[in-house]
Parts: sequence; structure tokens; C-alpha cells
Amino acid sequence: MKPIVLLLSIWSLCLSATAQISISGQVSSQQGLAIAGASVSIKGATAGATTDSSGHFHFTTKLTGKQVLRASSIGYKKQEQDILIADSGITVDIILPANHQTLGEVVISAGAFEASDKAKGASLTPMDAMTVAGNGGDIANSLRSLPGAQQVGEREGLFVRGGTSEEAKQFVDGTLLKNPNYSSVPGVLQPARINPFLFKGVLFSTGGYSAQYGQAMSSALILETMDLPDESSASLHLFPTSSGLGFQKLANNKQSSYGLNVNYGNQAAYNSIVKQRPDYFLGPEYGNAEANYRVKTSKTGMLKIYVNASLSNIGLRNPDVDSMALKSAFKLNSSNVYTNISYREMLGKDWKLQAGAAYSYNQDKIGLQLQDGAHQPVYLAGAPYAWKNRDMNTTTNFAQGRVVLSRLFSRNQALHIGAEHFYAEDRYHSGDSLYPLTDQLTAGFVEGDIYLANNLMARVGVRGEHSTLLKKSTVAPRASLAYRFGDGGQLNLAYGIFYQKPENQFLYQQRDLRFSKATHYLVNYTKKAGNRLLRLEAYYKRYAELPKTIPFVNSNGSGDAKGIELFWRDKRSIKNLDYWISYTYLDTKRDYLNYPYALQPYYATPHTASVAVKRYFENINLNVNLVYNFATGRPYYDIRSPQGNEHTQVFDHGTTRAYHNINLSGAYLFNLFKGKWKHPGFGGIGFGVNNILGTRQIFNYQYSYNGMNKIPVIPTAARSFYLGVFMSFGIDRTEDFINDNL
Amino acid sequence: MLTAVVMLLQVYAQDNQLTATVAQLDKAKTVKDYQALATKFASAANTQKTNWLPFYYAAYCNARIGFMLEDDGERVEPFANDAETYGKQAEALLKGSTDKHQQAELYAVLFMVYRSRVFINPMTYGREYGIRSQQYLDKAAQLDPQNPRVLYLQSWVKYYTPKMWGGDKEKAKTLATEALSKLQAQTATGEQPHWGKAESEEILAKYNR
Repeated sequence: MKPIVLLLSIWSLCLSATAQISISGQVSSQQGLAIAGASVSIKGATAGATTDSSGHFHFTTKLTGKQVLRASSIGYKKQEQDILIADSGITVDIILPANHQTLGEVVISAGAFEASDKAKGASLTPMDAMTVAGNGGDIANSLRSLPGAQQVGEREGLFVRGGTSEEAKQFVDGTLLKNPNYSSVPGVLQPARINPFLFKGVLFSTGGYSAQYGQAMSSALILETMDLPDESSASLHLFPTSSGLGFQKLANNKQSSYGLNVNYGNQAAYNSIVKQRPDYFLGPEYGNAEANYRVKTSKTGMLKIYVNASLSNIGLRNPDVDSMALKSAFKLNSSNVYTNISYREMLGKDWKLQAGAAYSYNQDKIGLQLQDGAHQPVYLAGAPYAWKNRDMNTTTNFAQGRVVLSRLFSRNQALHIGAEHFYAEDRYHSGDSLYPLTDQLTAGFVEGDIYLANNLMARVGVRGEHSTLLKKSTVAPRASLAYRFGDGGQLNLAYGIFYQKPENQFLYQQRDLRFSKATHYLVNYTKKAGNRLLRLEAYYKRYAELPKTIPFVNSNGSGDAKGIELFWRDKRSIKNLDYWISYTYLDTKRDYLNYPYALQPYYATPHTASVAVKRYFENINLNVNLVYNFATGRPYYDIRSPQGNEHTQVFDHGTTRAYHNINLSGAYLFNLFKGKWKHPGFGGIGFGVNNILGTRQIFNYQYSYNGMNKIPVIPTAARSFYLGVFMSFGIDRTEDFINDNL
Repeated sequence: MLTAVVMLLQVYAQDNQLTATVAQLDKAKTVKDYQALATKFASAANTQKTNWLPFYYAAYCNARIGFMLEDDGERVEPFANDAETYGKQAEALLKGSTDKHQQAELYAVLFMVYRSRVFINPMTYGREYGIRSQQYLDKAAQLDPQNPRVLYLQSWVKYYTPKMWGGDKEKAKTLATEALSKLQAQTATGEQPHWGKAESEEILAKYNR
């Protein structure tokens, strides 16, 4: 027996010599909070572990004696601690001091301008965007002072990096906002339908955006609505072209709120004082009513319902381009209903559900008429006059449903899986003909935000879509990388493929079309420090399968765009003054529509720049905003086909004069009934002048049918003005203005 | 017996250490100084978990850094976060205390804590935290209207608020002067709060410029 005992004891000795010794403990902050995800290791060895959600770690090692234990975590200073490893294992607690030099998590930001109510320092806030002078209450319009957008004065919407305004889409809480502006009128910018103060977050992506959004080849404007208001309030505004009133009621338990706003404006009175170039025979008249209900469904759940009904009536006459003796009259009666329902909830600690539904109805009744000097209709046969007397009626029913499920991980990492379905039913009547279009478009996407290394984050996603109308499917990969340097600067890269259905005007004539396609490549450098922000971006975009109308409607168009953009904002150098400068260089050509070959499109120009200045004059309580927009001339063409509908030729072309525009706006603020009333209010006198200098602006030229005559497309008046009062009761917003300027 | 003596000695040493750190605070000038002191007060808070003062000072140092970084909104947030954590812990320790003076001291610092958050970006953080911070200062003034730090902070508010919204440079001067005279009557050493001299003088210097 003895030898066996001896053997056993030797065996156990050997065992203990190579045994794994346990090292465990907890990592916490100086405030005593557990730090999850911290890495703990023994210096010079591979042994180590990562702490769990309660900050605990455990690992085993063969090392013994005196060693150095090191622990590190994002946001904390590295810590090294001498330990003595006993054979029985040891427990070590480590406290990590906070490292205030770190700048939070890396944020994917290629191609995007974010204006959020969480913005720090010189980052944009929604209010910054909404107070750009001369935007007329339209967020998209104010974003034209940011790089990437073109100055296209005759049409609403965003023309981004060589793309048309149809290629830039707006999304509200995830779902598509089908008709953000009042229906288009040739040559006249139409206002936005939705109150911009509804939004707490604005993300303007000029390229390379997330796989969660689609059907927008150039740009996505992603808007996030507010949750519950801080307090109940009522407001009123009186301006020459628009007046309105509204209220927001917050329930006593602060769990829900509802509100109503009504606005109406008829510009006829204003137009009788400030002469307009078109001869308006109807309106312009705009009216809308919006209602909302928001409720906290649980501690983390939120349901929001928004309904907006609007109408516009506009009739105007302009000299006819084909015959100076005649006028061409345009009349629009438009009505629209938009509903958005959004819901979000946390499913447990790590899962988030976001769901949304949108419905919109739109009807545009357009009447075209050729008139004589006494405004009587004139009917002439043959081209080009035959089609100048026409009635058109378009109705659209659009509905969308969307669900996104997200698994959240530490450090803002996440995996999103989502699906959406779009239903669109368009009915276009022209004369006796009806052109019906119905499409069911289904999309699904998967996207992940992950750290590849400590300062390197990646977003990789893919989006698939299928349209029953086109009978085609697409797969669009998207990827974005963000690397942060030690000094806080960030380098961003993005790539993506973006598909979009051709516009209805082409589909009415030809259904056998393909999705238009754009491929984006971009590189960006951003640095924020000391209430200043610098952003540089360069990109290349390739377009394929753009719609062409010659020799027949097809999808054989193509094009490309490249450019460099600069943005600089400084809130620090001069007290109470905030300014930004943006510059856009764009080199783009497209072979699309009736272009005989690739041309620089009529809405694109190589150089665009803006300077926006905001200043608060403390002593007289006046806020002043000034913006100067500059753009080099835009190309214009006389493109016709000499023999019928076959091939086209450029018969004449040119470049418009350079565009200069200075807008000024401001507000003088005062208290209302202070100390006399239970609910103190504040009021303001708002004023503004667009194109102060009255600079002659030419946006484009319109050619006659035979090319013998061209008339410039110009603003409806040299300058535009507004002056009015606004009041708000209930919420004491004076604090906002005080704090804005402290 | 021996353990009791050792414990007493330990407490004495800790108190001494706190007094020494507060003395350093009297000389602090730069963000770096305050950052080093914030760490020291934080570790003191870890060892004396029932004493509100180290928490109070840790909150104060972080909030002070927030004030110093007013023109660098991107950097303020982590300090404001720490300031709030320590401020809340100090508040919990003083809960139920009947010492109005101590509470006023803490509320004055809580004013700074929440006001520093406004500097991250006044446009977006101003509404919520501007109002909240003012509530703390009003509370402090109610509890101890003669507290020199409360007077100084009231002076600061009056000085930097635009006239239309209640700012008053004359009133700011009066309050700062009052704060200074109260500070001169107070002992300027020990572990109890006694800061505010340099800050009040700064406002007066600005006024006279």
C-alpha cells in the first residue's frame, strides 16, 4: 500500500504545482458604482477577464507571487495594482478613477448633420436650424444653408449633391412624410405643412445613410417628434400672410398630453401692397389644422398620434412663353390629410421595439388655361397651344407600416432588425384619361453598430426591397466606419447603395421601368472642441438606371456627382454671436430625361456658400439672424427634338448670373402680464426681409416651343417682408432666452 | 480599548486630511487643480461615508470645473454628471438634518451643479436645468439669506442675466460686496465651507472695469 500512498501524494503535489489559481473581485467607480465590461488582466500575461454587469470578474492563472493586476474601461483611467497571489486564490477590488478627457462614445456621422436637443457645444440644435433667416418655417429650407444642398429658389425641397428634390425624402419617427410641403406651383416656393417646432431631433443626411431608410437616392431628412411637453401652454401668432392659435394640455399626472393648432393665411392682402410678378387671381391661400395626442404607456413606453389636415388654393397668371400676347393661367386646389402613429417600448433591459404607421391622402386639382388680355380663355389647335388648356386631377392614398426590433449592447452598440411595407395608390386624371398606379413595396433590413476596436466603430447593414408595380427586387448594402483620434477629431467613411422607384410621371407612361440606383462613397473629418465645429467631407456618387424620356420612357439614364464640402461653426470667439460658414463644391453630370447626352443638370452649380449669423443684443432684448447665400450660375438649355419624338439636341444653352441672397430676420421679446397673471407669458415682435439688397436673381430660363424666345424664371418679387406678433402663455420661456445668452 | 483609540486616531487623521484638502482648495485656480481636488475629495468621501462634507466638496469642485469650462460645452458633461452624483449623495446624508446653514451651503452648490449643465448647450439644456438650478438657489436663500456663498451666487445670477429678464449689475455689485463683508467676518480656515472671496472679487472687478 505504501508506494501507492506515496504515489498519490506526489501526484497531488504535481497537481498543486500546475493548478489554476482563482483571482476574483469587483471593479467599481469612485462613486461606488459597478463598472460592467471593464477588462482585468495580469500585466505581462494573457490571463484576464471582463467584468459582468455587476462589475465582478473571475479568472484563473498559473502565476503566483508578486504580480501587477491592471484594469481598464472606457471613460475611466487605467489602474495598476500590486497583488500577491496566494495558493488559495485571492479577491481584489479595484476602483477606477473617472477620465474626463474621454469624449463619450464614437458616433457614426459620415454624411450626416445632426440637430438634436441633446447637442453639446457647437453641435446644431433644432432651434439653430429653425432660426436660419428666411426659411419661412420650413426645416428643409433652412438646411439649404448647410453644405450639400443647392440654392434652388423656384422650388421647395432639398436638392442634395446633384440629386433632385424628389430624391430627398423626409421621415417622421421612422415613417415617410409623403408631402412635406404644400403641393408644387411652378416657379413659386411652397411652404411646409408641418409646424417645425414639433421636432426635437433633426438628422440631415446628405449621403451614406442607414439601411433603416430607403427609397431616397440622395438624401434622408430624419425627424424625431417631441414627447410630452413640460407644461400646458397656449400660443397665438398674427402675421400678414399667416395667423394661428393653438394649445397643448399636459394631464395633471404628467402621463399624457393633447394639443391642437389651427393656422390660416391668405396672401392677397399682402400681395396688394408688395407687388408680385405673377398676377394672382386666387389666393394664395393656405390653411391647416393639426392635432396630437401623446401618452406614456409605461415607464419606458410612449405612444404618439399626430393628425394634420391642410389645404391650399392658388391661381396665377404669367405671360405665355410662346406668345407674348397671351397669358398662361395655372390654378391649384389641393387638400391633404396626414396621420402618423408611433410607438416605442423597451422589452426587458436589452430589447427595444419601435413601431410606426403613417397614412396620407392628397388631392391636387390643377387647371391650365390659355387666356387673352381680358383673361378670357383662348383655345388654339396644334402644338404647342393644344395642351395649354387642360384639367388634371391627382389623388394619392399612401399608407406605411414599420416595425424595428433592436438588441442593445453596451457602449451604444446595437443590432436592428426591421421590416416595413408601403402601399401607394395613385389616380391621375387628365382630360378623359385615367392613369391608375398601385404599388405594394415591402422592405426588410438588418443593421448592426459595433466597435471593431476601442476608437473604431462600424455600422454595417443591408436592406432588401420588392415592388409589385415594378415586379423587381433590390438588395442594398450599406456600411459606415468612424474612427476617433486622441484629440477628439473623428474620421468617417461610408459606402452604400440606394434605390428609388421612378417618379409617377414616368410610371404613368411606362411600367416596365427599373429602380434608379445611386452608389455613394464618402469620407469625412469632423472635430468639435471649445464650442467650435469643423467638418470636411468629400464624396463620389454614381447614378445608374435614371429615367429617360427619349426615344421613349426608359431606365437607361446614368450620371455621377463628386464634391467637397466644408462647414465651420463658431459660438465662442465673439460673445453673444454665433455664426457658421458652409461651402459646397459640386461637379455633376447626368444623362436623363430628354438630355441627348450627360449634362450638368439645370438645378446644379459648382460653387455654393452660405454664412449664417445669429446675434443677441442683450440690452435691447433683440435677436437678429442674418444669412447670406451665394451660388455660381446654373446652366440652362433649350433641348428639343428636331424630328418628332426621336432624338434630342441642345439648340441653345447658357449659364445664369451668379446668385446672391441676404435674408434678415429677428425678434424683439417681451414679458406679458408678468406678476399680474397666474400664467405669465411672453411675446415677441417678429420681422424679416428676404433678399434685403433686392439683388436680381435668375434661377433658370424657360424656352418657347420653337426656341425663339426665352424668359427668365425669377422670384415672384424682388424682396419679401414680414412683420407680426407672437405670444405664448403658460410656459415661461423667458428662461430659455436668458440661458441661451448667459 | 486600544481599538477605540486607533479608531479615534483614524477619524482624527481623516478630519485633518479633509482640512488640509480644503486648505488646498483655497489656493486652487485651474481646471487641473480642481480636478485633482475632486479626486481627493472623492476618495475622502469613500472612506468617510457618513460625513456630508467630502461629498459636498467633490460636488463643488466638479461644478466649479463646469463653470470654468463654460466656453467649451463639449467638455462639461462628465463633470456635471459627477457633480450631480456627489451632490445627491450629500443631500441624502443631510436629509432630516435641522441645520439650516448646512442645508443652505449644499443647496448653493446644487445650484452650481445644475447651472453647470446649462453650459453644455444653453439652447438645449437651458430650459430644464436653468429653472431647476434657480429653485435650489431660492431654497438656499430662504434657509440662510445671509450665507456669503448664497449672496455671491445671487450676485452672479444678477450680473450675467440680461437686464430685460431681471438682470441688474448694480444689484450684483451690492450682493457681491455684501458677500465679501460676510466672508471677512467668517473664519477662512477649517473644513467648513468658506470659499467665495475670489469669486466675489471677480464680479466686483468686472463691474468696475
